[in-house]
Amino acid sequence: MTPRRAQGRPDAGTPLPHLSRRELLRLGALTLGTGGLLAACGTQAGVEESPNVPSLGVAPETTALPAAEVTDAVLLRTAASLEWTAIDTYDAAIALGVLTGPYAGAATLARRFRDDHRGHADAVNALVEGLGAEPFECANARLMEIYVGPALALITADQTADPAAEVALLAHALEQLATQTYQGVVTMLEDPALRAAALGIGGDESRHAALLARAISPAIETIGTTIDPATGKPRIAAVPGAFGSLATVQVTLGRDAQGAGTTLALDTPSLNSLAYDFVACA
Amino acid sequence: MSQFSDADRALIQFALEAEQAAHGLYSAAAASAVGKGEAGPAVALMRDHHRAYAQALNGLYGEGASTQRSAAVIEAFADRVADPSASLDALRELENVLAATHTALVGRLESTDAAALVASIVTTEARHAAVLAELAGAGLDAALDAGTEPLAP
Repeated sequence: MTPRRAQGRPDAGTPLPHLSRRELLRLGALTLGTGGLLAACGTQAGVEESPNVPSLGVAPETTALPAAEVTDAVLLRTAASLEWTAIDTYDAAIALGVLTGPYAGAATLARRFRDDHRGHADAVNALVEGLGAEPFECANARLMEIYVGPALALITADQTADPAAEVALLAHALEQLATQTYQGVVTMLEDPALRAAALGIGGDESRHAALLARAISPAIETIGTTIDPATGKPRIAAVPGAFGSLATVQVTLGRDAQGAGTTLALDTPSLNSLAYDFVACA
Repeated sequence: MSQFSDADRALIQFALEAEQAAHGLYSAAAASAVGKGEAGPAVALMRDHHRAYAQALNGLYGEGASTQRSAAVIEAFADRVADPSASLDALRELENVLAATHTALVGRLESTDAAALVASIVTTEARHAAVLAELAGAGLDAALDAGTEPLAP
């Protein structure tokens, strides 16, 4: 002990004694330790109970998140939501009334593919019900908000030079996304039989994408990957590679007369867009 | 030691022999009048894809992978592929059979790595089939027809 500590507390009016750095640290640690001990020992007067870890002061109440387990049923409900997203998008695209004249063939494709998606939604929801879960019978709100809404806004913008062509581009991008979703979910589903069922539908989406690509890029040499010399960018290809890709789908929409537009990046449904058990149609 | 079960290895071997047969059939088509016609670039592209599938499945299987072509596939398609008037339709049917067969395998494979590879093949073979239908003028229903029965391992 130092002689200064032996002197005890100074009287009022007595100048504060000089404290060494070590003593200051000890005093701080003692204060914090005592506060923590008191906080852990019981309710403080006038302070609401908190489910949080013991703490000094008032902590706000927290709301527990619902259990968000990614099950086979959730993955398939999400696939159903994607089918409904495609159905609603095709309906919206047809309602634009731009698929006429030279694009009448595209309107035929759009109606056929929309009907195929209805069949897929029913098939996927039958699997969902087989798992004892609730079928999902509406579009994926998150995908509509971040992908389809902005895409349709670009297509219908005043400066867009060829809205009909862009409807085909959007449809192709969505079919690519659907293909990738089913292909990607193969490694996530626990039940191998469900993997095969999902992949069977993914093959259908892949055919849609290939036929739309042929409508967009009809030249024989563009079946595989090619570069457009005018833009330096890849053309839409019916068979873009040997193996199905899971990369981000990019689509440029709202192109003006000079070809300048906005590129949207579409990713397969992720944790923030899955149709969890607690997610219901509005 | 293999990361795959014996059952998975048998399924991969089956898929490998089917793809090697497909590569052989496409090579024959590419060398025929069809390969020298308007559809030639597409036929050559698809031939190369089937070679890539065989190589990938061979690599997945590892040592001891088969170098055989599926006799059942060759027998079912060789004559029609050699006939220029039927070649594109035969190749489309071949793609549909392969896609259906591989899809069925995905329903039996225990390894998710193997299932992921086979799934990435299926989605492209479905594209092949749709494009071949379009090139042959077979119509939309034929391009979207995925009702083919799979081959049994």
